[in-house]
Amino acid sequence: MPGRQAHGRSLLPTAAAPRARKASTKSRATKALDAFAIAEGQVTVSTRGVRTRDLEEEPERAPKRHRDDDDEDEDDDEDGDEAGDGPRNKRPRKEADDDEFDGFSGSDEEEWHVGVNNADEDSDIDSDEAFGDSDNEKFDGYAFGGSSSKKTKKKKGAESEGESDDEDLESLGSDAIDLATALDQWSGSESGSESGGEEGEEESDEDEGSSEESSGDEDDEDPSKLDALQKVIAGFAGDNEEGDNEPFGPRQKAKLSLTDLGLAGVKDPHIKKSLKLMNKEDKATKPGSSKKLDIPLAKRQQDRLLRSAAYEKTTETLDRWIDTVKHNRRADHLIFPLAQNAQDKGLNNSELMPITQKTSGTELEQTILAIMEESGLGPSAKPEKVEQEGDLAGQEGLTEAEVKELLRQRRRERELHSREAARSKRIKKIKSKAYRRIHRRELRGEEQAAHDALEQAGELDSGEEREAQERRRAAERMGTKHRESKWAKLGKKAGRAVWDDDFRSGLTEMAQKNQELRRRVEGRAKNSDDEDDDMSDASYESGDGGDKRHLLEQLNGAAAYEDDEPQSALMKMKFMQRGEDLRKKENDDLVDQIRRDLGSDSDDAGDIEEVDIGRRQFGGKAKNPFDVPNTSAKSKNRAAEESKHSGARAVEGTAKAPPPEPEPEPGAPGAAGAWSREPLDTRKSKKASKGLRVEELDLSNAAMLATKPVKVAKASKAPKSTGAEAVVTKNIQISASVIVQEREESDDEDAIHLPMAIRDQELIKRAFAGEDVVGEFEREKNETMKEDDDKEVDNTLPGWGNWVGDGVSAREKSRHQGRFMTKVGGVKQKDRKDFKMKGVIISEKRIKKNDKYLATQLPHPFESQQQYERSLRLPVGPEWSTKETFQETTKPRVIVKQGIIAPMSKPVF
Amino acid sequence: METTDIAAAPQPRVKHDNGALAITDTRTKFTSRVEVRRQKEAQRAYGRGRQIDVKGVKDKKLRRNLTNLEDKYKIATLKAKEAEILLENSSGFLEPETELERTYKVRQDEIQQDVSIDVAQKGFELKLENLGPYVCEYSRTGRDLLLAGRKGHVATMDWRDGKLGCELQLGETIRDARWLHNNQYFAVAQKKYVYIYDANGVELHCLRKHVEVTHMEFLPYHFLLATLGIGGQLKYQDTSTGQLVAELPTKLGTPVSLAQNHFNGVLHVGHQNGTVTLWSPNSGDPLVKLLAHRGPVRDLAVDREGRYMVTAGQDNKMAVWDIRMFKEVNSYFTRSPASSVAISDTGLTAVGWGTRTTVWKGLFSKERPVQEKVQSPYMTWGGEGKAIERVRWCPFEDVLGLGHTEGFSSIIIPGAGEANFDALEVNPLENKKQRQEGEVKALLNKLKPEMIALDPNFIGKLDLRSDEQKRAERDLDAPAAGIAEEIRNRARGKNGVLKKYLRKQQKKNIIDEKRLKVEEMYKHQQEKKGEKLKDKVAELGPALARFAKKD
Repeated sequence: MPGRQAHGRSLLPTAAAPRARKASTKSRATKALDAFAIAEGQVTVSTRGVRTRDLEEEPERAPKRHRDDDDEDEDDDEDGDEAGDGPRNKRPRKEADDDEFDGFSGSDEEEWHVGVNNADEDSDIDSDEAFGDSDNEKFDGYAFGGSSSKKTKKKKGAESEGESDDEDLESLGSDAIDLATALDQWSGSESGSESGGEEGEEESDEDEGSSEESSGDEDDEDPSKLDALQKVIAGFAGDNEEGDNEPFGPRQKAKLSLTDLGLAGVKDPHIKKSLKLMNKEDKATKPGSSKKLDIPLAKRQQDRLLRSAAYEKTTETLDRWIDTVKHNRRADHLIFPLAQNAQDKGLNNSELMPITQKTSGTELEQTILAIMEESGLGPSAKPEKVEQEGDLAGQEGLTEAEVKELLRQRRRERELHSREAARSKRIKKIKSKAYRRIHRRELRGEEQAAHDALEQAGELDSGEEREAQERRRAAERMGTKHRESKWAKLGKKAGRAVWDDDFRSGLTEMAQKNQELRRRVEGRAKNSDDEDDDMSDASYESGDGGDKRHLLEQLNGAAAYEDDEPQSALMKMKFMQRGEDLRKKENDDLVDQIRRDLGSDSDDAGDIEEVDIGRRQFGGKAKNPFDVPNTSAKSKNRAAEESKHSGARAVEGTAKAPPPEPEPEPGAPGAAGAWSREPLDTRKSKKASKGLRVEELDLSNAAMLATKPVKVAKASKAPKSTGAEAVVTKNIQISASVIVQEREESDDEDAIHLPMAIRDQELIKRAFAGEDVVGEFEREKNETMKEDDDKEVDNTLPGWGNWVGDGVSAREKSRHQGRFMTKVGGVKQKDRKDFKMKGVIISEKRIKKNDKYLATQLPHPFESQQQYERSLRLPVGPEWSTKETFQETTKPRVIVKQGIIAPMSKPVF
Repeated sequence: METTDIAAAPQPRVKHDNGALAITDTRTKFTSRVEVRRQKEAQRAYGRGRQIDVKGVKDKKLRRNLTNLEDKYKIATLKAKEAEILLENSSGFLEPETELERTYKVRQDEIQQDVSIDVAQKGFELKLENLGPYVCEYSRTGRDLLLAGRKGHVATMDWRDGKLGCELQLGETIRDARWLHNNQYFAVAQKKYVYIYDANGVELHCLRKHVEVTHMEFLPYHFLLATLGIGGQLKYQDTSTGQLVAELPTKLGTPVSLAQNHFNGVLHVGHQNGTVTLWSPNSGDPLVKLLAHRGPVRDLAVDREGRYMVTAGQDNKMAVWDIRMFKEVNSYFTRSPASSVAISDTGLTAVGWGTRTTVWKGLFSKERPVQEKVQSPYMTWGGEGKAIERVRWCPFEDVLGLGHTEGFSSIIIPGAGEANFDALEVNPLENKKQRQEGEVKALLNKLKPEMIALDPNFIGKLDLRSDEQKRAERDLDAPAAGIAEEIRNRARGKNGVLKKYLRKQQKKNIIDEKRLKVEEMYKHQQEKKGEKLKDKVAELGPALARFAKKD
């Protein structure tokens, strides 16, 4: 059946080997593609499988994408055609098999063979193919003798497939053919087999017709010619199977004419044309231009080529997965279902973008947006500030700098306006805080005094009262904002400092007190600088005086709170000034009143701040801050402070001594207390200082330095040093009489104790002199060292080869000694751990019981001991690491969560 | 979509089908100097040894694995450092405000006045004048106190609540007392034997193998009670199984003192001749022998981390030792021989001598490269005629317990206790349930006595002996394992292994001793099964008997 033959021929392009991409094979491919084109027309694109669609988004293959997709489309077509043909992914391999074609094509089994083996059929088709699409340029101008419909059809096919073929070449290189293409071409041709068959039948009909014609016309021709003709035809048709192996060339040399065929009278232009063509082909030198087709390769070869191509394709497909598989193998954890298949893959969940009209997708979002728009909060609502500034800039047409300047000015005005208000606020605060505290203290003092008086008078039932007082004290203690107190701890725990202003202020107070105390320890005067801050109200002095003084300072600060800045236009207005003056006056009154209050109960503070009351001040003392308007508020304030400071000190001088000044002693060690320092002495030796230290330690009544007795025994300096101490103690006497008393006592003690300590040591030495502990230990150590050392063992058996027993001389005995010596390895002395240590014996014996917890061999993957031991270094348990680390280390390798566990749809990497 | 893909083809970026672009190869890592410093600090505090050279590893897979491992370690150390933020309690010591102030001048009543009431209550005094002197011990959680008077008075109490647990009048000499793993059991070394009592004072055990014990120690992770008798025998008894693990003669006469190293479980014994020996139950000889004093070692203590040891001798000397180098760090004189030494969690050292107790701060510090000699003590107590018998720090509290001739005193020493406890280790606030669970957990995590060594990290390390050496040391005369033992070992954890084994043996048709034994065992097993079945049948009754399964 010739029609089937035509169908069968389409196999040829599939066999196209990398090298064998000649024009002829290509032209054959055209035929197949033609069939494919027809098939494509029949099968719609929509039948593409889900999987192929997924595969399409494979990113790295982008350059090949286009034709891959095409291929896959075709693949799917094929799928549609041959549903139930077995698992698809096995197909390439199957096709690679030798006998595959038979099994594959099913019903058209024998046709396949025919198609393959029949190299050429009718010349019509050959010529068509020859010019079909090998040279696309030439294609246009060529006119075929065949039916026009056929021609156009073919042309279409060629056009549609021409591009893809070109791309084939680009993507795969000249020497490779895509397996998929090959398959598709093949399958496409199969699907289009019917049409092809019809075509073929048509053609064959034509042929038959012609042959009938001829036979009918030329019945009287001689049989020899007919024979020759038949031979030729047979040669063209190629139905003798044995003939496909031998070269075709020589047979074609015979020139053909109509007379040869016995058709001399025939006028049919078609036949003539074809004959002409045949002749022309023979002459043609250019391969492929007008040449006839080559003989197809043997089936076996074709199959091999097919296989190799299929293999290449398969490996390529599988290679895409290598990275992913590798990654998954190395991964610490695998989580199923895969994130790749998740619904919201690729969406960034970490950040929420603002919703705009464009992005609002869901109904809810849109509704919310609408509501927000209505209320003027939507994205279209513009910030007002910008408008204002824009206005400013817009209406006056000012430059940017000018606008800025204007804005600044306005701000300043606003600030100035509220200045007096701020001042009054500040004054009130001072009044409310420190003022009240002072009053409370005074009140308490009075109470205490009254109470004492009552008690002295014996009028009071003291038990109950005392209890109440105790309670109050406890409450106070509880309330003290102490660092270790419950209050502080609780607050710390709850993180109250973040939200509770009260607590925060308490904390600052605490910190300030702390700082103040520290400063006092350092001996610096308090309030030396920048104390005008109104938060520093926590700096207490020992008595009330300090408190008051501080308060007064603050008041001064508040009073001096004045500005010398240029007044704005607004402030220059009369009524504004009037209002401001009024407020100022009020504030001043308030300050005065507080001052008076303070002044009334402390008469010594009076001489400092009497300006408002009327008394004048003379000398270099505090200047009235109000009198000096041109200096800055700060400097004024400081001056006032300093003056007051000196005043207060003078007042308190009787009660408190100035902090003792540290004596400049370069050589004295700082660790000892001030009183243990001796005065600068050039001859002061180390020994003396050591002696001092012992003394100092002795003071602790606890333990002493283990200094060498001989050195300390040189106690010629001892009395001197004590004398020095006495000097120092005198200095200190002023400040702390109690300590001095103690010190004096201990001094007395020292006089006795220092030699006592020495005597003790001497005594001890003598007491333990009987036992030579050290010597014994040394001896023991030597013994153990010898014991553990390498040894030579005499293995000589007495009586073996010699006489033993009585009567054997000593000389004889000694001769046989040491004949068989063996050396037993031990620990050499210098290899011992305690070799250089004094007074230490470390056992070198191996502890056998520990051995069962040792690894006998280096475990497999490790190359060295270090690596192995390092790998065990971090314990896994929760006791040794944080929870996070623990969970990380104990997390299972494969985690399966709820959901559909689908296979990986595509390679990730 | 295809077209966009083609357009985006030159970029190696993954584009998802919903249009999101995944950014690959981002440079997000920037290690600032602060970060580097932080890493260094973390490494110093929590790092476990130096990194190994990964680049030299030839095997690719191993290299990758080791690199990952190192990364993990680094992260773990960083995490541990970061977790320090959770240690919110800070401990503070008494600090003098001026140079003239001395912390040792501060008296207990002054402290009690200045601290909050609940803290002040922790300082108290128990007057037990007749049955003293008392030894005192705190339980590991620090909640319970065990008091034992020389003349036979034993009492346990929850000292914070002032609740008495139990009180015993034993009527014989008590030399030492010790809590076991929790506050439910305690051991008392009496005149002749050691007895174990429970929390209610009921006598549970009499350990007759521990004769005339003078000192006891309990190793909580190994569940070992170690006793030291007058004869100088050091004995280890497993309190969970009851086995006597080791009996070691110290061979140095009557020992004077005993202490344990919490780091590695090694016991330190002080002897008459001034030596200190270190013992583990695994060797008959002391691991280390150390000449510490010229006279008897009156008492010794080891710090929490097992780095330093403080010994006090009869020669009026107190020495600080580095017990990793076995070097004397410093030595101090005591006015009279110290009777008891204890080291707190924060490294404060309490020394009881005569009627006084002195607390030293900074005798040793692991941070300092060279240890300084401390000039004056941190705090002092006593001098009121109460001869100190024992000093003990209360865990997790700023409290020092003093057992003396007139009872017991609890004094407040600021900064002595660990401020932040690790509840996975010891939970001072645990309730009954937690205590019970902790007990079970501790038993499951119990360490074998064989794991005690000077370096506790030896476990899992490589045995570096040559094969020759190993072969030489193999005991060829050891008896072969018994048949029954062998089979049992083989059959462990599997069902019907014996049966299978028997079947195989039967196929062989060789009748030997082993075979006979196996058959006997099999028969025994079958009998047992039959009995079980009978029991089941009886249990189910005649009607349901047929449902009894033979398994």
